[in-house]
Amino acid sequence: MATYLEFIQQNEERDGVRFSWNVWPSSRLEATRMVVPLACLLTPLKERPDLPPVQYEPVLCSRPTCKAILNPLCQVDYRARLWACNFCFQRNQFPPAYAGISEVNQPAELMPQFSTIEYVVQRGPQCPLIFLYVVDTCLEEDDLQALKESLQMSLSLLPPDSLVGLITFGRMVQVHELSCEGISKSYVFRGTKDLTAKQIQDMLGLTKPTVPVQPVQPAQPHEQPFVSSRFLQPVHKIDMNLTDLLGELQRDPWPVPQGKRPLRSTGVAVSIAVGLLEGTFPNTGARIMLFMGGPPTQGPGMVVGDELKVPIRSWHDIEKDNARFMKKATKHYEMLANRAAANGHCIDIYACALDQTGLLEMKCCTNLTGGYMVMGDSFNTSLFKQTFQRIFSKDFNGHFRMAFGATLEVKTSRELKIAGAIGPCVSLNVKGPCVSENELGVGGTSQWKICGLDPTSTLGIYFEVVSQGGRGAVQFVTHYQHSSTQRRIRVTTVARNWADAQSQLKHIEAAFDQEAAAVLMARLGVFRAESEEGPDVLRWLDRQLIRLCQKFGQYNKEDPTSFRLSDSFSLYPQFMFHLRRSPFLQVFNNSPDESSCYRHHFARQDLTQSLIMIQPILYSYSFHGPPEPVLLDSSSILPDRILLMDTFFQIVIYLGETIAQWQKAGYQDMPEYENFKHLLQAPLDDAQEILQARFPMPRYINTEHGGSQARFLLSKVNPSQTHNNLYAWGQETGAPILTDDVSLQVFMDHLKKLAVSSAC
Amino acid sequence: MAELYVKPGNKERGWNDPPQFSYGLQTQAGGPKRTSLTKRVAAPQDGSPRVPTSETSPGAPPVGPPPPSRPPLVGSSLSSTQPTNFPVVESETLLEDVLTPLEQALEDCRGHTKKQVCDDISRRLALLQEQWAGGKLSMPVKKRMALLVQELSSHQWDAADDIHRSLMVDHVTEVSQWMVGVKRLIAEKRILSSEEEANEEKSTATAEQNQTVPGIQQAP
Repeated sequence: MATYLEFIQQNEERDGVRFSWNVWPSSRLEATRMVVPLACLLTPLKERPDLPPVQYEPVLCSRPTCKAILNPLCQVDYRARLWACNFCFQRNQFPPAYAGISEVNQPAELMPQFSTIEYVVQRGPQCPLIFLYVVDTCLEEDDLQALKESLQMSLSLLPPDSLVGLITFGRMVQVHELSCEGISKSYVFRGTKDLTAKQIQDMLGLTKPTVPVQPVQPAQPHEQPFVSSRFLQPVHKIDMNLTDLLGELQRDPWPVPQGKRPLRSTGVAVSIAVGLLEGTFPNTGARIMLFMGGPPTQGPGMVVGDELKVPIRSWHDIEKDNARFMKKATKHYEMLANRAAANGHCIDIYACALDQTGLLEMKCCTNLTGGYMVMGDSFNTSLFKQTFQRIFSKDFNGHFRMAFGATLEVKTSRELKIAGAIGPCVSLNVKGPCVSENELGVGGTSQWKICGLDPTSTLGIYFEVVSQGGRGAVQFVTHYQHSSTQRRIRVTTVARNWADAQSQLKHIEAAFDQEAAAVLMARLGVFRAESEEGPDVLRWLDRQLIRLCQKFGQYNKEDPTSFRLSDSFSLYPQFMFHLRRSPFLQVFNNSPDESSCYRHHFARQDLTQSLIMIQPILYSYSFHGPPEPVLLDSSSILPDRILLMDTFFQIVIYLGETIAQWQKAGYQDMPEYENFKHLLQAPLDDAQEILQARFPMPRYINTEHGGSQARFLLSKVNPSQTHNNLYAWGQETGAPILTDDVSLQVFMDHLKKLAVSSAC
Repeated sequence: MAELYVKPGNKERGWNDPPQFSYGLQTQAGGPKRTSLTKRVAAPQDGSPRVPTSETSPGAPPVGPPPPSRPPLVGSSLSSTQPTNFPVVESETLLEDVLTPLEQALEDCRGHTKKQVCDDISRRLALLQEQWAGGKLSMPVKKRMALLVQELSSHQWDAADDIHRSLMVDHVTEVSQWMVGVKRLIAEKRILSSEEEANEEKSTATAEQNQTVPGIQQAP
């Protein structure tokens, strides 16, 4: 019989789903005693090269309050041509097209291996994708030139039929009218005054978007009649003119006095972008791509004033309630984000500057719409250029990975209710019998909207157990616009067994997925951290961990040394330890913008990447054997080893002291020591594989013992040896870390003491 | 064939800027990974740190050399990041070899494409010529343009398009001003060629019709 690990892995590969518990506790009370809620990570568009979409529409349950989709869990009576919905038990007639089905001739959606299946929706118009560039011109010359080149390059990467538009801003905001005729025109707006959507649309002279463009020359087969606007034109028509227009962009002409910041009207620029798309192309896939080289300093949404001597807010300022612009600016961008999300448009932010740019206030733009947030030092860096290129990466079929306008609907069998979701989504406020009153994350609904997504986008979905019945089942239905502009529906239906928590706890324990549980709890923690005080979140996390250990640990009361956890829980405390130290919950040493950026990526990545973020991976390379994973601990730092650490945001290669000395002496260049050359190369090759594929592109740190950059490694490893306890261990192995942070050992000791104590 | 290379990042402008991969390497990524670095080690439950074996003790005076490998092999294996050996093109890529087919392609499109577009393309080809003759274009750009033109002449539109993309990604500074003209030219030739094929099919169909209908007198 396959172990649960295999079961978990197979399910993830097939359905893109990982549950915290794979055997469910059969009563509400018992479920709350599990501590970790019943929840799952769902990757709606998980790449499935082996799953071709079917070219027909799904069959729905006829009960109006149900409408679940035909799936392998349904009972079928082939002779009577009936199927029973496994969610509401309604008997439904098969449609006429299914007349020929039988036990030996099943449609795909009834076969168990198609628990996840994708349908192509044939009807309805296919609208082109839309890309609206919003470009900050208050950049240094080099930076502006690099950004212009990246944008020109992107015109070669965009789908030829997609529409593209350009808004530039600095002190004023310019909306460029794109035409093939020669003279370029633009509409100029003041950057100080916000306008309503209607005002923007009136001032731009936008008419109703239902007038089709007649093809001028009937001989052009690829020109279909579709809508376009003076501001958003098809790439294949406008690329030459737009290339020139981009090439001619100048720095913002307004002089910046000594001691001042440039006046940047980002708030109005984004407002105009949102209003423009609202008025011309509502409810179709579009990306607003905002490129900024500094903070907004003027108008609505300004984050800091123009006096350089007044710095942009830090965490300290925020704690002391000393951030004057924060509330108003956040409100402005939240309003814009909600409007964009309502229209199915996503907003990306590409912020490249050495100081903060206001990502804290603007994060709702990306987080509510599913847009990307990329933070870099300059547009003239490989990090920005390649991250930007990867947005346009293609899958194995040559289609763009990005997808648009998704709605996720979750249906559950009667025994479960939906508590909420955490991820890059907004609620669609759809109430119903399967919606729980207890909210976790974005709750009070069974449907969410994700305006921008890709094959790695992952949501955390939280459930509440209310009773026990037959087999518990959940169906995830994702309607979305594929990058080929086809509309598709991805349906995943999963089921699990129940068990009585009193008598069958061992079964429930064995089916615990500690990795999924860690990520789901982490998402809850980070969600809380947005509105609660940091120390409160840590206390909550600690309390949950202690309760979990009390419930599932094996121990003798009041005897910490007897404490043991079974294999399915053994990594969980370690994850929690590293989570407490992570930049997601520890804002010390990060600016508010950096924390916002880290949290943004954490709230949308799949399980493997999320775990890397919580507890970085550490691999050790040596002459003793092949590369092996090692404890993320100071004892792993040894003179004759090379370490490769992956934190998701950074790739660190660290040469141990002896290795560094050998490299300095040049042994890698001598033919007799060729194996040393291979040893040095091995981590570089592995790092390259990661760097080639990851989005966003990580920073790359190549350092050695004693190097200043070694701090990236030293700050992440568990400090089992510090200056405080170095001599207590007797022998000197590994590198001591100069810190007062609690080590994993001390943490575990405290945990065990508290878990076995009857006082708790 | 696009080039496969890795350049260092821009250390001056970005701290720890990662290396820059060429278009060829980036589009390659996505196949099965050699090694999946995702394993972890559980901390020992009893709390004591693992004490792994170590060959040298820290703080000791300068250590000896690393363990030597076997006697060096003749024709030692290449490191995996070295690019595969392409046949080295000894001769200079000639401007005429690239420009003439492009101008010919433009001529072919003149009857069918809007005048303004043709003029715009022509302007950019002139710019290409100027930059090439002025020595402003690097060898890899010239080589890849020669390949692009070959693909264009053989009606391999997707391949030509891919080469244009790889040039835009890897050498945007050199090519951005005129490459969009080449891109358009490929697109226009593709349309023109598919129309010609469609017309040919129509005319062969009617020719067959004429042949199969008996008894029709040919015009004198």
